[in-house]
Amino acid sequence: MSAAASLAASLGGSLDGFRVLDLTQGLCGPFCTMQLGDAGAEVIKIEPPAGDFARRMGPPFIGDESAVFLSLNRNKKSVVLDLATARGRDAAVKLAHDADVLVEDRGRGVAERFGLSYAQLHDVNPKLVYCSISPFGEDGPLRDAPGSELVVQAMAEYTASLGRIGDPPVRIGADVASLNTGIFAAQAILAALFHRLRTGEGQRVAVSEFGSLLHMRGIMWTSMSDPDDWYGFHLDHYTKPPDYGYQTKNGALYFILRRGDSEDWDRLVMELGMEEALADPRFADYGRAATSIGRYATEVKPVWEKAFAHRTREELVDLVKSIGGDAVPIMDYPSLLAHPQVAALDAITTIDHPTAGPFKTVRPVARFSATPNTIRMPPPTLGQQTEEVLSAAGLRSY
Amino acid sequence: MLDSGQEEILVPKILDGIRVFDLTIAAVGPWATKLLGALGADVIKVEAPGGDRLSHAVPPMIKGSSVLYISANHNKRMIELDLKKEADRAIALKIIEKSDVFVQNMRPGAVERLGLGYEVVAKVNPRMIYVAASAYGRTGPMAGEAGIDPTVQSFCGWCSITGPEHGRGEMYRHLAHLDLTTATTITQAVLQALIARERTGQGQRIEIEMLTAAMALQTTRLAEYFATGEQPAPLGSAAATTAPHQAFECEDRRYLAVGVERDEQWPGLCRALKLDELIADRRFATNPARVARRAELATILAERFKTKPAAWWAIRLHKENVPNAPFLTFAELREHPQVSANEHIIEIDTPHWGRMHVDGLPWKFERTPAGPIRAGGRPGEHTAEVLRELGIVDERDAGVPK
Repeated sequence: MSAAASLAASLGGSLDGFRVLDLTQGLCGPFCTMQLGDAGAEVIKIEPPAGDFARRMGPPFIGDESAVFLSLNRNKKSVVLDLATARGRDAAVKLAHDADVLVEDRGRGVAERFGLSYAQLHDVNPKLVYCSISPFGEDGPLRDAPGSELVVQAMAEYTASLGRIGDPPVRIGADVASLNTGIFAAQAILAALFHRLRTGEGQRVAVSEFGSLLHMRGIMWTSMSDPDDWYGFHLDHYTKPPDYGYQTKNGALYFILRRGDSEDWDRLVMELGMEEALADPRFADYGRAATSIGRYATEVKPVWEKAFAHRTREELVDLVKSIGGDAVPIMDYPSLLAHPQVAALDAITTIDHPTAGPFKTVRPVARFSATPNTIRMPPPTLGQQTEEVLSAAGLRSY
Repeated sequence: MLDSGQEEILVPKILDGIRVFDLTIAAVGPWATKLLGALGADVIKVEAPGGDRLSHAVPPMIKGSSVLYISANHNKRMIELDLKKEADRAIALKIIEKSDVFVQNMRPGAVERLGLGYEVVAKVNPRMIYVAASAYGRTGPMAGEAGIDPTVQSFCGWCSITGPEHGRGEMYRHLAHLDLTTATTITQAVLQALIARERTGQGQRIEIEMLTAAMALQTTRLAEYFATGEQPAPLGSAAATTAPHQAFECEDRRYLAVGVERDEQWPGLCRALKLDELIADRRFATNPARVARRAELATILAERFKTKPAAWWAIRLHKENVPNAPFLTFAELREHPQVSANEHIIEIDTPHWGRMHVDGLPWKFERTPAGPIRAGGRPGEHTAEVLRELGIVDERDAGVPK
């Protein structure tokens, strides 16, 4: 990263010089604005006197800060403003007049009460890119309904591809409703900024968590439109049992055969002592339909697992790879983070926080050769830059 | 023009004038460029004759075409070039000269073998924004290995945090979420680089690994691990750092998803359930306290939810502004007024596959609307059209053997 860092010094990030006023809390909005900050924007996070509620999402806490909050708020300045007071609102409006981007998730009509709606700001700041994030979209009967991670996952049918039919629902462990929407919000803002650079025009953009998750399941909606046959993993995943990978002597692995030829296949079968598979039509075409999304994969899983029972998964991963297949161990966090591939990619970085001390997190994903994403500031303590930002804006401190 | 009544009204698009040379396969690359197409870019998808197995053979099928292929290639023009042949490669370079964005998600090394690595492309077109996306990157012990959604799910820890409480970590059987997460990360990076190019005049190279994208999507969960040194356990439907935030079974055996993420939502939940005495109960007064006693709290609430049907609790929770929802199926979503009002799922007519449901656009732009969504086409359908339009003479038919 050192070569990239020196380039950053000369060219800066792609959003260098842009200022983002962030009125969001929780996971979704902050994940969006963190990416804008990584890209070089100055992000001013307006927090109520009690702070972003994500500061209380936990345990776990590191010092006084929740681990969740720390993971979503690097590269931001925290300014405490009480929007319930006229002074707080006036300060926020003044900051919005000088902003290039405003991001809010307050719900319909709320920003207007603060003098911070798009219509109110547009006359003074016509170049503003204004992004609203809602749980369910801005039209329809649920436009004012509050959301939560699980509530949006449930509505968007995400839990239908997990667990067993009739058993209690299982959520996706990652916060997909929040974080995937954060990515779409960042896209919308970037696209609008690009348009502004070319035309001088600002505009309002909007995303929703529900709409984002429904977009992410698009292959499914088309699959169910009018399929030739009710077959294929975008259709039959609903009725399949939970998938835990393939059990071996010492843990689970996942593998897929999709490139091998007959010589590879013969060698695999011999090594595994699975000669019975040679006469089994479910293993035809060198096992292609017998693994992963193949037609017979679920059905023949016990055959594989019987052959795997006396071998370690490391041996098996090597064996599958040696015949042109793809194989990986199913890993938990400790094994993932100890893996040399994660180290080789520098996927994890350490940030030093003023009160919580050093903590680890995932680096910005995209690596740019000319205008790199950078981590320049730790997540702020509550109100850490109130004084600095307000006095720079010519506002008396609050 | 007066006689152009057949054409749709020309609304400016954000990526008007931006051309994408799309050398992508399967889902990760194609979905990224599909979004650029929806924003108005001219996306030219280049396929080898016959296409690749991963893109075309994955079931389910509609009228013989893979739904994966149909879904991931809206708003593009499809051309065929055999890049292993010099004449075809020359055509590719001419298109590259006139393009702004180059996206490929082949295994590291593969595109270089085709003679279209970054250095070659940047020489032809220094303003090019060049995306190289891969599963595990170019360095390290797994450099160059292929990956697909389920293998990356397995590798990146994703399965270890999902599953029933006290159960084994489970794979998400939709098998495209990490593909599409990586895709959307690519789209975002391209937009960022377009902004940079508008300001500096320079193109650049962007590298994105699916593994890192998948880890970034778990940033909040990895944060728990980094803070405690302990693997976060699967919790069924429950959230790890907020409570109560899980599914509850009601009297009619239906489940209701309930999510209290903010302290101010807690008294409303208590009132909705007529458990007002809990409001002042210090054991549950703050989110950290409720998380620390998640099981104890869930037992109390679960007992209550079982006494009435889900519909009753939904009414009461809505009145108190407490986030809640039923677990919907596609049949219910397809007709849901919320979905149609926001065009989250829409129906389009397609030239080859009839009328079909497709994912709506994930963003709304008030001044420069994205879309409309149009189905792409069959492989090679637009080869002649694209070459003619770009003024590229196709000499391959003029006596030059293919």
